[in-house]
Amino acid sequence: MEETKVTPTESVETTPVTNDMAFTPAPFKDKKHMGLKRKRVIGNVIIYIILVVMSIIWLFPFVCIVLQSFRCESTQPVGYIIPQKWGFDNYVNLFTKTNFPKWLTNTLIISVVTALVQTVIVLCMSYTLSRLRFKGRKFLMNFMLVLGMFPGMLTMIILYRVLADLGMTQANSIPGLILVYVASSGMGYYISKGFFDTLPKSLDEAARVDGATNAQVLTKVILPLSKPIVIYTLLTAFMGPWGDFVFARYVSFGTSSGMNVAVGLQDFLSTAGNTFKNYTMFCAGGVVVAVPITILFMLLQKYYVEGVTGGAVKG
Amino acid sequence: MAEVILKNVKKIYQGNVTAVHDFNLDIADKEFVVFVGPSGCGKSTTLRMIAGLEDISEGTITIDGQVVNDLQPKDRHISMVFQNYALYPHLTVFENIAFPLRLMRPRMSNDDIYKRVTDVAEILGITPYLTRKPKALSGGQRQRVAIGRAMVKNCKVFLMDEPLSNLDAKLRNQMRAEIILLHKKIQTTFVYVTHDQTEAMTLGDRIVIMKDGLIMQVGTPSEVFDKPKNLFVAEFIGAPKMNTFPAKLTLKDGKYYVTAFGATLPVEGEKAKLLKAKVQVPPEGKDIILGVRPEHMELAEKPHPGAIHVSIEVSEMMGSEVHLHVLTADKTPLIVRVATMPLSEEQRAKLNAGNDVDVEFEGKVMQFFDPKTQLSLLYAD
Repeated sequence: MEETKVTPTESVETTPVTNDMAFTPAPFKDKKHMGLKRKRVIGNVIIYIILVVMSIIWLFPFVCIVLQSFRCESTQPVGYIIPQKWGFDNYVNLFTKTNFPKWLTNTLIISVVTALVQTVIVLCMSYTLSRLRFKGRKFLMNFMLVLGMFPGMLTMIILYRVLADLGMTQANSIPGLILVYVASSGMGYYISKGFFDTLPKSLDEAARVDGATNAQVLTKVILPLSKPIVIYTLLTAFMGPWGDFVFARYVSFGTSSGMNVAVGLQDFLSTAGNTFKNYTMFCAGGVVVAVPITILFMLLQKYYVEGVTGGAVKG
Repeated sequence: MAEVILKNVKKIYQGNVTAVHDFNLDIADKEFVVFVGPSGCGKSTTLRMIAGLEDISEGTITIDGQVVNDLQPKDRHISMVFQNYALYPHLTVFENIAFPLRLMRPRMSNDDIYKRVTDVAEILGITPYLTRKPKALSGGQRQRVAIGRAMVKNCKVFLMDEPLSNLDAKLRNQMRAEIILLHKKIQTTFVYVTHDQTEAMTLGDRIVIMKDGLIMQVGTPSEVFDKPKNLFVAEFIGAPKMNTFPAKLTLKDGKYYVTAFGATLPVEGEKAKLLKAKVQVPPEGKDIILGVRPEHMELAEKPHPGAIHVSIEVSEMMGSEVHLHVLTADKTPLIVRVATMPLSEEQRAKLNAGNDVDVEFEGKVMQFFDPKTQLSLLYAD
């Protein structure tokens, strides 16, 4: 899992010039080799140009939003990108004059709780399906696979009724939303089950002979070996509620204190008048929402990639 | 310290595939028993049933007087060494060995754990590697760690599932000797599974030879080598494998003779007595399968009526001996093992492929099998 990764540029043979090597003859230069090298350089240049162009297209909207969020001369959408007057006014207003801090807290609570609960459920589910053999296992797996293909939105109205009856809507939307996000999370077992399947079964058996219970096998042997997949599960479970709009919108319907950031920010632009007043603040909100998730991804990117490809390459 | 009793043990997998048929065996306290057989014979399944890693379909397994059928592996007081070592990759060697101790209830103190682990490491010579992860160890060292992990808790039965199969030949020999010493040192019941008959012969107090889920023979190494109960055991034990070929057993004037490939040899001594006691030979003679081990065949100095004329197909020089793969006149392949030490240069030159030689063997080394039942005429129950 922790092999050192050699980037292609490092593997290119170079002759280090040091004093010790002063007397070694110059390496034999062969025209064919130069040809190969030139080909590789040209290839790399083309690839890098394509990548740079793609990155610019990709990043352009983000850069625009960041620049707009620092614009102080006006609050409405404008026809230019670079602000004429820079400042933090939009951020200050966002946190002092709107309900944004409340929305951010709501979202954070919902996302963190969902991420933790969902991860526990998914990992237990995956371990069970990967390691235990019981009647109806195959049927359960297929059933959940099919069930998972129905869009969640189908259940929207009935879910709203249930939550409303339980008193978990509008101002009280936090537990309601957590319930909605966590409810069917066991169905997202495929990736971590695929990862667990690659861990040799003899490790479990050794642990069981050594005196471990099923729970101890999971916590002491399987999970420590599955760091990438645990982080992957946590990240995806966190991301869902963090950016969710539809469910959050109808569960918190019309109550500002029950909104999450996505719904709250959308509220900024709900009418043309609001848009004129709030556009730059909306951009600042977008940046604030994006920052934590970006930092998380940058820190955990290595594991995330390992997790996604975990089924194919054993860690 | 315990005896293990397997009574009418069966393993039937879903779809009615029977992996082990009616397995009966008493393993004495401190005994070293080896299950050996070709792959798919049910030896590992039987071991895993003793360990509790497989359900027992029928019958009972008793360890130290307690029926363990429904006990979890952790409650059976066993240890196991796996073929692929099954070391925990995220733990250091120390923590790997300490793992069973850390799971013990009531909890063991850290000082006790430290002492037990370092003692075991000392015995196995892995003290310098205690802080390393398994990844940074060689195959032999990993196997030692796996053995250490099995040794560290004082178990009643020590189970080993082909522990040497992943090692190279040299290391395997060395570890084999170490396992024998280990058994002497820790004085526990050992059950060992292997497909390698050499390992079985060298390690076991008793060997259980299995085929297709059935026990073919149980006995000490010399018993199964000298007195095979059936053709399978005769061919499986011993390397290169025993030569078996059709022959005719006749009785003339109270003396037994065997005719094969046109050569007629008398059967004398112990074997003749056993034949007299156990076998009825009709006047026209009895068709049998004759078994002679390659090392019991010798080169005849000159052709005679009791010698078989063969041509050498392949000559394998092994150093101290030569394995001759020969063909008889009717193209039956045989193997002859010839020690090279007593031979002169001239004689050795004769052993090259393409040459013809005469081989002979004595009556006392012959094994007799029934062509239909494949059971030994002398030693079958």
